Amino acid sequence: MRLLLVEDHVPLADELMAGLNRQGYAVDWLADGRDAVHQGSTEPYDLIILDLGLPGLPGLEVLARWRAEGLPTPVLILTARDSWAERIEGLKAGADDYLTKPFHPEELHLRVQALLRRSHGQVNQPTLKAAGLQLDEGRQCVTRDGAEIQLTAAEFRLLRYFMLHPEQILSKSHLAEHLYDGETERDSNVLEVHVNHLRRKLGRSVIETRRGQGYLFGGQTR
Amino acid sequence: MRSIQRRLSLGLISVMVIVGLVLAQTSLWLFEMGLQRYLEAGLRNDSENLLVALVRGPQGLQLDERHLAPAYQRPFSGHYFRIDFADSHWRSRSLWDQELPRLEHPGLDSNLQLGPEGQQLLVLRSDYRRLGQSISISVAQDYTPVRESFRRMQQVGLGLGLAGLLLILLLQRITVRRALRPLEKAREQIAQLQQGQRSQLDDQVPVELEPLVAQINHLLAHTEDSLKRSRNALGNLGHALKTPLAVLLSLASSAQLDAHPQLRKTLKAQLEQVQQRLNRELNRARLAGDALPGALFDCDAELPGLLSTLNMIHGEHLTLSARAPAGLQLPWDREDLLELLGNLLDNACKWADAEVRLSVLETVEGFELSVEDDGPGIPEDRRKQVFSRGTRLDEQTDGHGLGLGIVRDIVEAWGGVLQLQESEWGGLNVLIELPKRR
Repeated sequence: MRLLLVEDHVPLADELMAGLNRQGYAVDWLADGRDAVHQGSTEPYDLIILDLGLPGLPGLEVLARWRAEGLPTPVLILTARDSWAERIEGLKAGADDYLTKPFHPEELHLRVQALLRRSHGQVNQPTLKAAGLQLDEGRQCVTRDGAEIQLTAAEFRLLRYFMLHPEQILSKSHLAEHLYDGETERDSNVLEVHVNHLRRKLGRSVIETRRGQGYLFGGQTR
Repeated sequence: MRSIQRRLSLGLISVMVIVGLVLAQTSLWLFEMGLQRYLEAGLRNDSENLLVALVRGPQGLQLDERHLAPAYQRPFSGHYFRIDFADSHWRSRSLWDQELPRLEHPGLDSNLQLGPEGQQLLVLRSDYRRLGQSISISVAQDYTPVRESFRRMQQVGLGLGLAGLLLILLLQRITVRRALRPLEKAREQIAQLQQGQRSQLDDQVPVELEPLVAQINHLLAHTEDSLKRSRNALGNLGHALKTPLAVLLSLASSAQLDAHPQLRKTLKAQLEQVQQRLNRELNRARLAGDALPGALFDCDAELPGLLSTLNMIHGEHLTLSARAPAGLQLPWDREDLLELLGNLLDNACKWADAEVRLSVLETVEGFELSVEDDGPGIPEDRRKQVFSRGTRLDEQTDGHGLGLGIVRDIVEAWGGVLQLQESEWGGLNVLIELPKRR
């Protein structure tokens, strides 16, 4: 999952980046509203965390421009302005959720998880379920038929992405775009290695390879 | 204070009545004086004719009948005379059996009554000396017809005066109403202002009202502007304080503190206190309170947005509904009302299982807002505690308590009443009664 964080307060951004990285998200960070308008609509983000008090361009204006361009990415607004009038304005501008400062980091993580699941058509439930697997995002482990299987951070990221996109053919470049932030060098071989690790832990049939097209997760359950 | 219209009417009536009466009476009196002078000249003429008719006859003085006017011969004709000598007096035949009293002094008198027909006489007594005798001739004329015509004139004049007064009053009323129309308009506009139906007074007013209207408009703009500025400043302050607070909260949960659980606990507790206090005070400071509302709260326009925001925050499993009469507008500041309803509904959503309902009613005294949920509710004996100052359930933890602190502040500022009841579904019903603004 690749996230865009738009926040001008550097210490807070650092904290959030660290926390989100620990949760297995690839995070790009921007501090200026004008950059955010451009990058948010060109890079394939899965979710955007947007602060409203931004230099360059106000957050609400940034959001309104994205929505005007037809950007469907879910946006979580982060703001110190917590009056209901402003919350409603945020929603009208096209936000999907609203978190007021200050907040507990866990609160943000839960909101991000919930928003991602919601945007992928998954109902709100404590764990992510797909293809007979249950993924515990808090503990970063997967359960199959009652047996708990430990995952490495990279495997967890990959499996979460697959589980949010079951029965969809995902190309290697697509996966790379969504699993790594803009500054990490993307090596498709590394991806292959992680896919193989997942197959070894969860069974070969869980991830099919479609030659020339990419990977298909959960295809055998149909 | 009595109305200007009434004062003007009263003043005008008293002035008109006094001036009218004095003027009418004086002119009548002057006219009567003039008439009497004219009649006096006639009477003097008559008495001189009588004097001429006195001739020396065989038995002393006698009247020459040929020189007497026929009116003196016909009984009660209206013209009479009496001639006094030193020891006797003559009367005209027209007096018949009546006595015309002799005036004490020579001159004119108009207050003589003569029966039986009750004629009022105007009498002139003149003294002469003729043929060696002093003679006093009194000549009288019936004054009644003149008096009657005077009375008629008086009545007609009074009637005309009254009619004129009424006409003038009517015209004055119309004029005053026309002249005061701008004031009346300003009064209506101020009423609309108080009900929040407008934000400024019309400045197309007469010169006399211009400073007043301009000043009111200036104050309104100033109030609105300073409210906006203070809200903005508070927003900035909140932003400036809350962002570092978020960093601190995040740091307090970081792995570096895993070795010091006690320190982490204290840090978190203190930070939470700061956060709660900050939220409460900032929210309270944001309230417009009882200032004039810049815009009405339009239920049809605002409620759907509020409900969908809440649905977004609390998830689609909750059914949120609002019942309000179509086109209902609440006369309070939009942001304050959103804050009030937002907090109430947010609280209800936290506790509800599946349903939350907002109802807005307009009553005779004001408005009734109620927010019902189907959650666990609050037992009756604990409901009072929610509001008692000592134990504020609502302030124990932000987000987990009742969140009613700000709600109470708003309701208090508006002079309303807040009650907790059991809802139709067994959950909590928060009922707020707000009095109409006057």
